[in-house]
Amino acid sequence: MELRHVRTGVILGSLVALAVVGCATGKTATMGSGDPVADRQRLMKNNGANWAEIQNKVKAGNVEGVAVNAEALALHAQRIMLLFPEGSLTDKSKAKPDIWQKWPEFQAAAKNFENRAGTLRDQSVAKDAAAVTATVATFGRDACGACHTPFRVPPPPQQPAAPRS
Amino acid sequence: MQRRHVKTGVVLGSLVALALASSATGQSMAKIWTSDAVADRQRLMKLNGASWADAQAKLKAGNIEAIAVNAETMALTSTQIAALFPEGSLTDKSKAKPEIWQKWAEFEAAAKNMGAQAEKLRDAARSKDQAATEAVAKEFGRQACGTCHQPFRVPPPQQQQPPPPSPPQQLQPR
Repeated sequence: MELRHVRTGVILGSLVALAVVGCATGKTATMGSGDPVADRQRLMKNNGANWAEIQNKVKAGNVEGVAVNAEALALHAQRIMLLFPEGSLTDKSKAKPDIWQKWPEFQAAAKNFENRAGTLRDQSVAKDAAAVTATVATFGRDACGACHTPFRVPPPPQQPAAPRS
Repeated sequence: MQRRHVKTGVVLGSLVALALASSATGQSMAKIWTSDAVADRQRLMKLNGASWADAQAKLKAGNIEAIAVNAETMALTSTQIAALFPEGSLTDKSKAKPEIWQKWAEFEAAAKNMGAQAEKLRDAARSKDQAATEAVAKEFGRQACGTCHQPFRVPPPQQQQPPPPSPPQQLQPR
């Protein structure tokens, strides 16, 4: 008898608690489109575009202009892990299952990307051209590659060189 | 007697459910921001300001296509705005108006509108259509920024006498 009442209470309490949690997290639930693969590919495309612009600006000697793109990378980097929920491996995704097998390493790789982007931003704000150039020189390997190499399926082998047009 | 047991059960059940809920969201909801929502959203909005400034500079220079990256950055950050205004996050450092939480649906709509306007700017820039991009950019301050800042942000203090020349808005080292 008593046990049954406790059980009723457990169920009631669980439902109420879950409802409260649901409401509390409800506001953050609107951030994604519901398709994490599309969401993360969109985010990473913008990372790629910001990175391309960083390289262009450095080439053009616009060291100070790099900060806005580097800060975009740093802020986007924080969202990466959220966009890889377990089970989000479709045939459109280039994610490796190793992401979920080595979650702490994946998390660390995203954090590393965030930190390096933050460093680049600070160097740019400080107008330190030498430091910016040095960071940019290793960024592809140390920031992008440190995550893409272990956790992303490499793109298909290069086609034979297209005839020059 | 019976009621007390039900109560014990309610407490137990709540605790277990909360523990499960937080571990279920623990991995994917790994904390992305700091615990200071005001600092976090000011950082995000500073990036929006800098992206918008970069876009305007490119517009002036006739570098239309390059505006797309800034516009897409703004579109992506706009999806974060609502989450950075949890209830009760109104400190003296914040310029948020309490109206945000009184009219949450409108606030959310305004943030969504910013995203839509930024996408419009992005698409115009991608099409390399200078006239179209200029037209969107001309309205952007009012349509994208203003529709949220006007109802939901305390206006900056009254203009002092001619303010000392300040460097263009830029990101601060952290």
